[in-house]
Amino acid sequence: MVLEARNLSVSFGAQPVLRDIDLTVAEHEFVCVVGPSGCGKTTLLRALAGLTPISSGSALFKGRPVTGPQTELAVVFQDYARALLPWRTVAGNVALALEARHIPSSEHAARIAPLLAKLGLSADGDKFPSQLSGGMQQRLQIARCLAQEPEVLLMDEPFGSLDAITRQQLQDEVARMAKDDKRTVLFITHDLEEAIYLGDRVVALAPRPGRIAEIVDIALPRPRAQLATREDPRFLEYRHRLFRHLEH
Amino acid sequence: MGAAFPLAVLALWEVLARAGILSEDGFSRPSRFFVAGAKALADGTLLSQTFETFSAAAQALLIATLAGVALGALLGLFRPLERALQLTIDALRPIPSVALIPLSLLIFGFSRGMSAAVAAFACFWPILIVTTAAVRGVDRRLIEVGRLLGFPLPKIVLKLALPAALPGILVGIRVAAGIAIVVTVTTEIVTNPRGLGHAMTMAAEGLQPDLVWATLLWIGVVGWAVNWAMGPKR
Repeated sequence: MVLEARNLSVSFGAQPVLRDIDLTVAEHEFVCVVGPSGCGKTTLLRALAGLTPISSGSALFKGRPVTGPQTELAVVFQDYARALLPWRTVAGNVALALEARHIPSSEHAARIAPLLAKLGLSADGDKFPSQLSGGMQQRLQIARCLAQEPEVLLMDEPFGSLDAITRQQLQDEVARMAKDDKRTVLFITHDLEEAIYLGDRVVALAPRPGRIAEIVDIALPRPRAQLATREDPRFLEYRHRLFRHLEH
Repeated sequence: MGAAFPLAVLALWEVLARAGILSEDGFSRPSRFFVAGAKALADGTLLSQTFETFSAAAQALLIATLAGVALGALLGLFRPLERALQLTIDALRPIPSVALIPLSLLIFGFSRGMSAAVAAFACFWPILIVTTAAVRGVDRRLIEVGRLLGFPLPKIVLKLALPAALPGILVGIRVAAGIAIVVTVTTEIVTNPRGLGHAMTMAAEGLQPDLVWATLLWIGVVGWAVNWAMGPKR
């Protein structure tokens, strides 16, 4: 198991936010977490990333307790604009991850170029984040996370504030990237269809306090396609089965 | 355009002085103090006094910036530290900087350092307060990004917190630059026999109102130039 939550509970003061979460994420697996807003999805991701302290139980990365952020775990935040450095160019933002890894600056250009190409940002290396669209800014944040060369990508509603078309493009790119680069992904979303479309498994959380309601294996073939996959009868079955967890 | 008003004032002044309505003992007249100023410029005394005053002010600003930004960044990042030091800061801050002149004289003697130390004390507070607020206002998300990328705390401060807070910090430094000039000239007028402040005192004692006015306007012109050089450019 790459990532594991064992009886994980988180409380903010006296208020329980997550209770007894048991979840394992296998190597190279793409696991999506859905749930109504306020169910603790983001808290679960932050606890696994080492950003939010755990009240009881444990979060494990490769069997070792997560006590704080570690470079093997990268986080893609929903609010990309707040996560980027507005005073650095696109290339400079990616370089930040390389600086953290003590990679000599003479190697930066050669490492940044393929990442920008992969995310479709090759022409924008000298621009500043404020000159990019929301979708491009989110691509930049993903590029920076990849420059970190993490084993696990923790994505917190990464496409939640993007328009539908951009969102579909990025879904396909992230799915392809995860498979090609053999990365483990934990993907938080409130969009049930997005979770089914992307996930090898979908974890549905129930709210107040956040706990696991159901875990469903998604047996849809890969690579998935926006039209064909969503029209697959099994896709609709999963949707019906999981939909009740999103009702209040 | 902005020059029209001061030029009109100078012209009126000249007329009133020539008509004997303004006392020449105190007000001199613009034509005279331009002559006095040009003479002081030509013989080099004004420039060397300017260098003296402004290098003391620059020293003060540099020291206050280093100390104020460093401490301000720590206070902005760590609430408990701020709480621990709040009383000390609140007790020291109301001390008028010029009240430190006698003490500074004992420590530094009649030297550039004496003026610089007093001015640095005065400049330290606005920079400290502005930096503390600006660093506290830095988006927590940026700090988290730094932690997730694996930067140690000093690097998070240097690469993320301070650059993000820089626009605010620069405002503090600009305000402090004006204070540095004011306090430096004050120390020179009150005690330190150096620089432009002392030049004005000596000119006044020598009953040379034209030179006092020339020096005063000169401080205004150079101060304006410093402010312009530090200000945001469009």
